[in-house]
Amino acid sequence: MFYVSIFFQYMAQYMKTKLQYRADLLVEFISDLMSQAVNLVFLLVVFGHTSLLHGWTRDEILFIYGFFLVPYAVFGAFFNLWDFNERYIVRGEMDRVLTRPVHSLFQIILERMELESLLGGVTGIIIMAYASARLSLSFHWYDILMFILFVLGGAFIYAGVFVSLATISFWSDARTSIMPMMYNISNYGRYPIDIYHRVIRYILTWILPFAFVGVYPASYFLGKKEWYGYAFFTPIMGVIFFGIAVVLWNAGVKRYRGAGN
Amino acid sequence: MNAIEVENLRKEFKSYSSRSGLIGAFRDLFTRNYKIIRAVNDISFTVKQGEIVGYIGENGAGKSTTIKMLTGILTPTAGKVIVNGMNPHKEREKFVRTIGVVFGQRSQLWWDIAVQESFRLLKKVYRVSDEDYRQHMEHIIEALDIGPLLDKPVRKLSLGQRMRCELAAALIHNPPLLFLDEPTIGLDVLVKLKIRQFLKEINEKYNTTILLTTHDISDIEALCERVIMLDEGKIIYDGSLKRLKEKWGEGKQIQFTFAGEITFHALRELTNGLQVIWKKGEQDNVWTAQVPSALLPEVIGRVVARYSIQDMNINEISTEEIIRNIYEEGVVHG
Repeated sequence: MFYVSIFFQYMAQYMKTKLQYRADLLVEFISDLMSQAVNLVFLLVVFGHTSLLHGWTRDEILFIYGFFLVPYAVFGAFFNLWDFNERYIVRGEMDRVLTRPVHSLFQIILERMELESLLGGVTGIIIMAYASARLSLSFHWYDILMFILFVLGGAFIYAGVFVSLATISFWSDARTSIMPMMYNISNYGRYPIDIYHRVIRYILTWILPFAFVGVYPASYFLGKKEWYGYAFFTPIMGVIFFGIAVVLWNAGVKRYRGAGN
Repeated sequence: MNAIEVENLRKEFKSYSSRSGLIGAFRDLFTRNYKIIRAVNDISFTVKQGEIVGYIGENGAGKSTTIKMLTGILTPTAGKVIVNGMNPHKEREKFVRTIGVVFGQRSQLWWDIAVQESFRLLKKVYRVSDEDYRQHMEHIIEALDIGPLLDKPVRKLSLGQRMRCELAAALIHNPPLLFLDEPTIGLDVLVKLKIRQFLKEINEKYNTTILLTTHDISDIEALCERVIMLDEGKIIYDGSLKRLKEKWGEGKQIQFTFAGEITFHALRELTNGLQVIWKKGEQDNVWTAQVPSALLPEVIGRVVARYSIQDMNINEISTEEIIRNIYEEGVVHG
């Protein structure tokens, strides 16, 4: 309960800060929309030439992409950890975080939230709506709940992987290039999993389970029964991976060396 | 009750050193050379509730590391730390609600939002009731004279203004123990005076324990009954400032301005057999001698008889001087 109220306090502050810089907000908004549009155009161009990929139609792939954008947006809004090493370890901001009576990871999530990213989710929903209209998909009332569950599961999988990577900074303060690399790999989840080689498929399912952020849960809505098992496993994977990340984080905080003055 | 109990506290850091050259760099990939550095080396002390303690030492003496262990930021390598009856890093979230922390070189406030918004957020974070907040903070805001600053964003404040707001922010939950790491660094004299006066006031009013590190000895003189002095991770003095002064500050400092150039050797030879420390002053031909009071006439006599003097001053030895001497000569006995 305390954490929920703190969450809303930070969010209110965040809004106030953002509204102070109205021009910035507008520019950010437009550039976000642009990058979404570029992605979409790319996808459409690719599928202008091929209408079928490993048995997946253009619209199905569009739907997966649309779905992927939603958990990705949620992740992007709350887990801005890409500069964690620089900001919190090297510059020593972690000291300040650790002197406050709220879990350190939670504080960092709140401090670094970027709610604009949620816009990407809106784009995703529009794409999904468009694709499902063309596929004439039908939904039940409980699909909304499934959708929320899958989105949260996907976002937590992402968060789990990236938080775990961020904890490396507690052990070694050297800068690594793992983060950008991982951002690239993370994009693989938005394409149908069976276009990849068996090994990659295994990795994307069990080791860096980015397939659970896009293709697996989306196949539930597409009625692809052969993937249902995986789809339902999404929230569980989210809990497992985020749980591991929190354990690693707590162990890392004990190892924190602090920055010199 | 003791606010702080520290026993044989130790913190070691691994420090990696890289080998030279390309081959060295390649070897570093597999096995890295490291040595273990003891930043804090088996220190023990206790601080009673309501004390103001100055924690001093040169850069790298281990002050910040100790403070970070006492505030739960760092995990000690060995030893016992009990602060406010708790183990700081084990029960961190519960523990930090009972302390206030100000790091002079690092802001606790949010850069972009107004000061009072930061306060409001911290009030929520520390779960302070509206009533407690009003009662307590009104007084603090008034005492620090930050009322007019409350609606300004932190980035628009001067350093002195910001520092006063930082202090207020650290006290929102009225903690019984306050850690101040370089609280007056870079501040002008008026702000320093205000902050010192304020610290004394809350110490008297709430019996708040204060542990402060500083490079500014005048802070210590104004505030602290007791100093703990640290050198290379070890405590070299723990006791009252008065005793320190009596023991080390006896004697006088004589500043001579000579008419012509003079060498250190010549001066040392001149006062051979006497207990005198010569130091070169900042201006040309200015030298100071630290002399036990009893030898004052003897030293002046010898110097004046031999050289022509333009000017001469006799001063008490300052605390700063005492501390510098201690560091130069090593451990204090007594």
